[in-house]
Amino acid sequence: MASLSLEEAQRLLIAEARLLDERRFEEWEALFTEDAVYWVPIDPARDPAGALSIIHDDRQRIHERVYRLTQTPVLDQQPPSRTIRFVANVEVEPAGDGEARARCAQLIAEMRPGGPGQAGLNAPRWFAARCDYRLRRAGEGWKIAQKTVIFLNADAPHYNLSFIP
Amino acid sequence: MAVTERDLGRFAAMVVDDPREFRVSGAVYTDPEVFAAELARIFARTWVYVGHESELPAPGDYKTVLIGGQPLILSRHEDGRLYALFNRCRHRGAVVCRQERGHSNFFRCRYHNWVYANNGALIGMAQSTGYPDDFDRDRYGLVAAPRLASYRGLLFARLAEDGPELGEHLAPLRKYIDWWFGRSPTGDIEVLLPPHRYEYPGNWKLQAENGYDGYHGNYVHLSWQRVLALAKEGSVEEVQQYRQAGAARGLAGGHGLLERPGSLNPNSSWMVRMMARYPEYEQAMRARYPEHDLVEISARRNIFIFPNLYLFDTHLRVIVPKAVDRTEVQLYFYNLRGVPSGLNQGRLRGHERFYGPAGFGAPDDIEVFTEVQTGVQARGHEWNLLNRGQHRERRENGEWVGHTTDEAPQRSLYRQWRELMSDGLA
Repeated sequence: MASLSLEEAQRLLIAEARLLDERRFEEWEALFTEDAVYWVPIDPARDPAGALSIIHDDRQRIHERVYRLTQTPVLDQQPPSRTIRFVANVEVEPAGDGEARARCAQLIAEMRPGGPGQAGLNAPRWFAARCDYRLRRAGEGWKIAQKTVIFLNADAPHYNLSFIP
Repeated sequence: MAVTERDLGRFAAMVVDDPREFRVSGAVYTDPEVFAAELARIFARTWVYVGHESELPAPGDYKTVLIGGQPLILSRHEDGRLYALFNRCRHRGAVVCRQERGHSNFFRCRYHNWVYANNGALIGMAQSTGYPDDFDRDRYGLVAAPRLASYRGLLFARLAEDGPELGEHLAPLRKYIDWWFGRSPTGDIEVLLPPHRYEYPGNWKLQAENGYDGYHGNYVHLSWQRVLALAKEGSVEEVQQYRQAGAARGLAGGHGLLERPGSLNPNSSWMVRMMARYPEYEQAMRARYPEHDLVEISARRNIFIFPNLYLFDTHLRVIVPKAVDRTEVQLYFYNLRGVPSGLNQGRLRGHERFYGPAGFGAPDDIEVFTEVQTGVQARGHEWNLLNRGQHRERRENGEWVGHTTDEAPQRSLYRQWRELMSDGLA
């Protein structure tokens, strides 16, 4: 079975970023395996079983997150975030049979548009992050078994992070 | 900024305690002079929550905090005692600690190497021959906050020399705080680090007003209710019905709480469901508490301790005012001590689901804070109404007790605010 090539990893990570930028959340959700974990730690050195995370979603909660954004009257994404994600410094390494690890740096530019003078709107925000993916072979392609996003300022106070980082 | 008699009169007029139309001026959220006076007249004068003892278990542990914008160090000395020290070198004023928290045997000013012990004592300076032999180091230790006191591990500091003792400050709330601790069969909690932290472009009182607001849930959190329905954890109608039961209580001293009634029926009580799931928990709880206490303990309460702390079922919520229109909020998740680990695990995952900057509920609250902050810039009329339920509230044991959706606790907040902000007015 072929291991994950750098080009393949780049295509996958960029495609994932584009699905989020285009708010195609259901298609994004379909990238994950049934046992997937999506983790945005406050302190990546701590075991999420015994410490708070910004996000620590199992597959069910990933689905709830997507459902909330797409099917419910959320305030915090109305108006919705615009995002542009830059994917860089991609590295891959094999991780056993049918598994691979991919790492990259991401810069996420985010802004929510609104009328004049609206507190919290119209201000671009920038999030730099290290991302770590555990990937699993699924037929011809790969699925995400774990996505970890470690913000440069993970332990700082954050305003609304309800767009999917 | 010197506060004049005229200012005090202006601040007092921003809260109108009218029996039918209790109202506050939009200026309480937007006026920089109000904010400066709040730091001086509220945060520098009353008991302010600074942390929980479990955050600093060992000698040498410390954390740094802001009390009304002033930097302090909370430090456990080798004698085991806790000290609240102003984070300011006695020499030229630099901070002696820059970390959020950690462990150290001393605090050293990096400017000229003045070194202080964990209790603030000055223990050395660089090139000390530059000072005379009779230089009295005892006079130049880090200055301690006038008062630091604990209630069941909750640590509060007071920057003013005079004022009520902590016990007196907490007296109106004490039974509610004790019941809140009661969910642990040892009556104790342990804070898990790190906290959730969020920051929003709005005034600190918007968070204070919201944590016990029982009126907004069905609208701001309709999205959350739909997620619960998706997960088959209750239909939207069931959740909305639940939100009608209970009481909103305004207490003396600016405190207040929102209360969902206690019950030994597992359908309406999380604690009783946990007792059914974990027999060892039920056994420990029944051994410690008589049945009427268990009913009170099982009630769900969001308790506001004026001016900066909320006790929630999963976390301690600390409000940190940073500017008139900028506020940080820290959510310290805690474990209940003496319970099965699975119970705390469930609480942790449940907390993350709703709270924090990417939770399914808290960012919706933050969103409306920013909407108020923008809206009150409009001064076509001056007043925000906090009169909901005034016609139906009742006085009981010194409390104002209203329907769960009424604004009784918010009125208590602003009565205390008005008193402190205009204290000294002739």
